[in-house]
Amino acid sequence: MIPFWAQDATHAMALLSTLMPLVAFLAIMLGTRSKEKLSAGLSIGAVAVSFGCSFLLLFRLWNLREPLEYSTRWVALNTVEIPFGFLLDPVSLLMLCIVTLICLLVQVYSLGYMAGDPGFSRYYAFMSLFAWAMTSLVLSPTLLQLFIFWELVGLSSYLLIGFWYEKFSATQAGKKAFVMTRAGDVSFLLGLILVLVYAGNLSIVEMNSPGFAGLMPSTMVTFAALLIFGGIVGKSAQFPLLTWLPDAMEGPTPVSALLHSATMVAAGVYLFARLFPFFTLSPAAMGIILFIGTLSMLLAATMAMVARDIKQVWAYSTISQLGFMIMGLAAGGYFAGVFHLTTHAGFKALLFLCSGVLIHTFHTNDLFELAKGGVRRLKIPMVALAVAAGALAGLPPFSGFFSKEAILAVLALSSNPIWLGAGFLGAFLTAYYAFRVIFILLFPPQTATESSDQLSGLPSAPKPSHHEGSSMTLIWPLIILASFTLLLGFLQGPLENFLVKEDKHVLLSHGVLGAWLPFIALFFALAGAGLAWVEFGRQGARQVGFAERVPFFRDLFSQRWYLDHFYRFFVDRVVDRGFSRLFAQNDNRVIDGSIDAMSRGTLETSRFLAFLQSGMIQYRLLASFAVMVLLSLYFFF
Amino acid sequence: MIVPFGHVLMLAGMLFLLGVFCTVTRRNLIMIILGVEVMLNAAAIAFVGAALHWQSLEGQAFVLFIMAIAATEVSVGLALIVYAYRRSGSFDPSSYNLFR
Repeated sequence: MIPFWAQDATHAMALLSTLMPLVAFLAIMLGTRSKEKLSAGLSIGAVAVSFGCSFLLLFRLWNLREPLEYSTRWVALNTVEIPFGFLLDPVSLLMLCIVTLICLLVQVYSLGYMAGDPGFSRYYAFMSLFAWAMTSLVLSPTLLQLFIFWELVGLSSYLLIGFWYEKFSATQAGKKAFVMTRAGDVSFLLGLILVLVYAGNLSIVEMNSPGFAGLMPSTMVTFAALLIFGGIVGKSAQFPLLTWLPDAMEGPTPVSALLHSATMVAAGVYLFARLFPFFTLSPAAMGIILFIGTLSMLLAATMAMVARDIKQVWAYSTISQLGFMIMGLAAGGYFAGVFHLTTHAGFKALLFLCSGVLIHTFHTNDLFELAKGGVRRLKIPMVALAVAAGALAGLPPFSGFFSKEAILAVLALSSNPIWLGAGFLGAFLTAYYAFRVIFILLFPPQTATESSDQLSGLPSAPKPSHHEGSSMTLIWPLIILASFTLLLGFLQGPLENFLVKEDKHVLLSHGVLGAWLPFIALFFALAGAGLAWVEFGRQGARQVGFAERVPFFRDLFSQRWYLDHFYRFFVDRVVDRGFSRLFAQNDNRVIDGSIDAMSRGTLETSRFLAFLQSGMIQYRLLASFAVMVLLSLYFFF
Repeated sequence: MIVPFGHVLMLAGMLFLLGVFCTVTRRNLIMIILGVEVMLNAAAIAFVGAALHWQSLEGQAFVLFIMAIAATEVSVGLALIVYAYRRSGSFDPSSYNLFR
């Protein structure tokens, strides 16, 4: 048994960066729940340590050639060993840094956002639990360990969505998120079992090695890849299971920023990137995945066009961008997908944190209410929001432009032009809904502002509670993330060297469109932003989008393409009235019936036997004499 | 031996059947125990006859044991009958049906 302590400095750092949040979680839950400041300090200190360690690791292993694996035996059965440990390779190190950085910023931000909440300590305990589960997930060397922490991040997501458990809708949303992601996880687990049956273990390095194709027949590889992709669909809220994510916005805004946009939902895409060589073994599975990614991206983008709730817009946009990453990966662009994952984590967290400041100040989620309240007076959050929206739309100086361009370049290489067209359409819609939000917030209709100025005493107009005085803990994370959003795009080259050590020539050629691609992408983004300006920004605009003018599209988009209705109908008709009734009848008739029959039979038999027992000793005596006589007759004659 | 052994066995057998008849048919506990005693005595007669026939002393010794057992059996049996009579007020075995 190898002891579970550090073998060298690298291992020690990996241990520290994953285990510190667990220590903080246990300490808060067991000891310091009543002391709010101490709990927050513990949690932030722990995540700061793990942030420091992960960046040290990144610098230390910048020139890493081979993946570094540390593992110890957790369970040993007869022939099966289940190892636990760390797998350090470029993509896991990059993801670890993203996760710990955003965890740290969000936890600092929460100091201001959650101040005065009765569940303050509990909040920090759950945040630490999430940080532990997420960092361990990122560094898992085997899919089994990854699955365990995958479920743990699902648990912390459930706990944090339902954090304000007094609110009925919050508990409902938590339950919905839990059940829907579980549906995906069942498929993930089945995929793992399938791989385990053929390959004998679940080591990520072995699954990604070129020799793996010899272990499984190709149809089984396709099947297993699709089953594992089912888990990704659940976690990253892709097409069939996408409606939990908008509802998950019931949680506190920093939670949405951390879990439901930047890191946890990205875990699905991360898993895809992690098993990228495994998925490339099956072109059929990649085709289906590409289709689902495209579909999710376009569906969610249309939903975002009509949403009135600012957090819901960003939630739909998260689904859409995750779909975009999956498109990039499925089209073969490993670096493009991971790079977009990185930049998206930055700008989407920024979007949510900015929205959090607005919501915190004006106590409403509605875009038009916020605009009426006068959010344009909050200078720093609005500038940061505009920067993040620019990155989301893919405008040049910001990080989103570079990563989107990388994905579009990969799509341009594919033989079917439909995917590239869908990518351009997605870029157009994304720019449109991102700038729709900005213009609605910046340019409230003139009449509305005047009336709210005149009738300022009315309770209907939301009034800022601690106006302009947003504390520094709220503002600093915004500034840091905004500067990341500005700078990260220019780090594309070094990151590409770090992630992809060889065969760069594939990414250098841009297909038929060649060098024109960035300009075409920019044209579509500007067209989207321009349309948003015409409809929402310019003087006297009616602030009604083109999709909202057609009642059919308005209903379709705002009802989420009736997906929830379909699920309700499905659960009601097929599950409740179909299967459940069948099972209930089986329970009542077959199981209960057979047990009743058995007990009734026992009762009847014993009644009959009791009739034999007359209580008369002489009958038995007579019987024994008769037997004796008959026996003696038998023996002697 | 002036009585042939076959006659002795015949007597013992008839006595035993009388005892069985008495035990099985009478509806009085005292008569039932009397029947049991009759059966024991039938066995004792068979033993004595056999001992004479084969000129062996063990049969006679066995009869002494049978007498002792019969005496103890009667004393214990009568005590049980007295107790049963006090509880139920009847000598009829069919009225002892608490377990039924």
